[in-house]
Amino acid sequence: MERLAIVLLDSSNAVLVLMLVSLGLAIIFGLMNVINMAHGEFLMLGCYALLALTEAGLPFFLALALAPFIVAGIGLVAEELLIRRTYARLLDTILATWGLSLFLRQGMVLLYGPGSHAVAVPDVGSVDLFGTPYPVYRLIVMAISIVTIIATFYVFFRTRFGLAARAVIANRTMASCLGIDTRRLDRITFAFGSGLAGLAGAAMAPLISIDPNAGLGWMVPAFLSILVGGLGTISGPLAGAAGVGAVDSLTAAFTSPVWAQLVVFTAAILVIRLFPNGLVSRAKREA
Amino acid sequence: MKLSSATLVGLVALIFFVVLPFIVSDWVAADFGIYFAYALFAVSLCFVWGHAGLLSLGHAVYFGIGAYAMSLVTLGMVPGLPELHSTWVGLAAAIVLSTVAAAVVGWFFFANRGLKGAFLGIVTVALAVIVERLAINSSYLGGMNGLMSVPPITLGLNGDGPEIYDPLPIYYIGLTLLAVAIAAMMRVSASRFGVSLAALRENELRLWTLGHDVAKLKIAAFALSGGLAGLAGAFFVVQFGFAAPSLIGFSLSADVLIWVALGGRNALIAAALGAVAVRFLESRLSNLMGATWPLVLGMVFMASVIFFPKGIFGELIDRLDRWRDRANG
Repeated sequence: MERLAIVLLDSSNAVLVLMLVSLGLAIIFGLMNVINMAHGEFLMLGCYALLALTEAGLPFFLALALAPFIVAGIGLVAEELLIRRTYARLLDTILATWGLSLFLRQGMVLLYGPGSHAVAVPDVGSVDLFGTPYPVYRLIVMAISIVTIIATFYVFFRTRFGLAARAVIANRTMASCLGIDTRRLDRITFAFGSGLAGLAGAAMAPLISIDPNAGLGWMVPAFLSILVGGLGTISGPLAGAAGVGAVDSLTAAFTSPVWAQLVVFTAAILVIRLFPNGLVSRAKREA
Repeated sequence: MKLSSATLVGLVALIFFVVLPFIVSDWVAADFGIYFAYALFAVSLCFVWGHAGLLSLGHAVYFGIGAYAMSLVTLGMVPGLPELHSTWVGLAAAIVLSTVAAAVVGWFFFANRGLKGAFLGIVTVALAVIVERLAINSSYLGGMNGLMSVPPITLGLNGDGPEIYDPLPIYYIGLTLLAVAIAAMMRVSASRFGVSLAALRENELRLWTLGHDVAKLKIAAFALSGGLAGLAGAFFVVQFGFAAPSLIGFSLSADVLIWVALGGRNALIAAALGAVAVRFLESRLSNLMGATWPLVLGMVFMASVIFFPKGIFGELIDRLDRWRDRANG
């Protein structure tokens, strides 16, 4: 029973972080029509940003708050120099961001070496949950994810900016005809999406080993999540991430991480093949 | 008869590579055998991506299947047939297995309402990760270490007879394989089937409306490309001497994508030259530049996507085309 509770908590943790990563990826894809193969690398940059800031002597939680903005800044630069020059060529965005991913990974190898680094988990103790001690930091990570996801929804569904953004997702040309500054939106979107990945990376940094390839393992699950969930909505990727993350972490807990990856990737490929529009948008259409 | 610019560049490149071993030392030539295997692999991806418009981001799967199949046969590891060591059977197994694998994958992805564009790309990446995992966890395939001491090409019927491991013969076998493969694939591209594939790339819906079996075309293109990748893998492993899980998964798939995109995906010869050029520069410059080389490669790659979307050799062929058009008035 206790073990089950721990497994479920860890699983929720994995799901929520994957949701953050997928959300950023989906917003960039939905709004800008850019397939960002470097999304995992922005997560990796989040880890390194946190590492750099804590090494510089900043308190952990201040570093955690600043890291996403640093990553968003890097995203802004990448958008300005690279991404905007490949718009309207969907498959070229794959190539360009693939190059970017190689560049960022190798950049970190040069700056921090190919080896792995670790950030100490901040000393916030543990609480008793369902009769077993559970680290508070993991609960904080979950809380950060939930708050960020809710904030993202608020921005998209309750603000003028969000209205413009949803208009661009629905019909880019029409939106720009109506006077929406799509160029400015693209910039903000890419920075915001990379910032979400950066936040996920910074929050996870104490829980994983930080190395230049840390982002690679997230890229495929995040893409599968948004394809499983369905494109064109904001809730689709969340549902997809819930499915992918839950299957992955639960299978990992009861068998082994290797099997988990095989099971979840195979299942995701099957779902994508059988429901090319995604599970969420399909449900909507039938309703 | 007027030769196309791609053919012209191909012939110049062929003459260059035929005389190259007379100019440089043997050990430089030895590296090129491996580069030609990679170039063959690049040609297979270029055909399915550049010509038929199907972006496969996990193409190393078929290269890896070819490499493992050749290794298993020549090492005598085929279940029930411990006496079998033949290079020729290995070659056949490599081509057949990779073709069948690509056909099955193609059937799964393309039959009925198939996957398109970016979806196909992502799903093929996931597939490559799965296959790499399976290879790492298979003790039959040697796990993480892979299959070691794979014998070189033997001319006898069952692993006997003279062995070919001198760099020069390997070099010319590789060059011949590559030249024949490019010429054959160019013929295929110009055939009725190839023209349908080009139409598929340009406008799938229109082709479908005209009554073509789109799924069948895609599966055939994928299978053909897979078989060629398998051949490349087999030719690679008889030189390299071992088959590791890294040949079958994500990183080689990413590498070949870069070679093809950098060389040029619109012409098979450009993709092949891209692979040879990148690998050659990599071996020269990684000693000199160390860890900065992948950084530079990433930057060059990004720049080429922005400034030369047709690839470097593709752009060259294009310019040559325009120049010849002008020269002919």
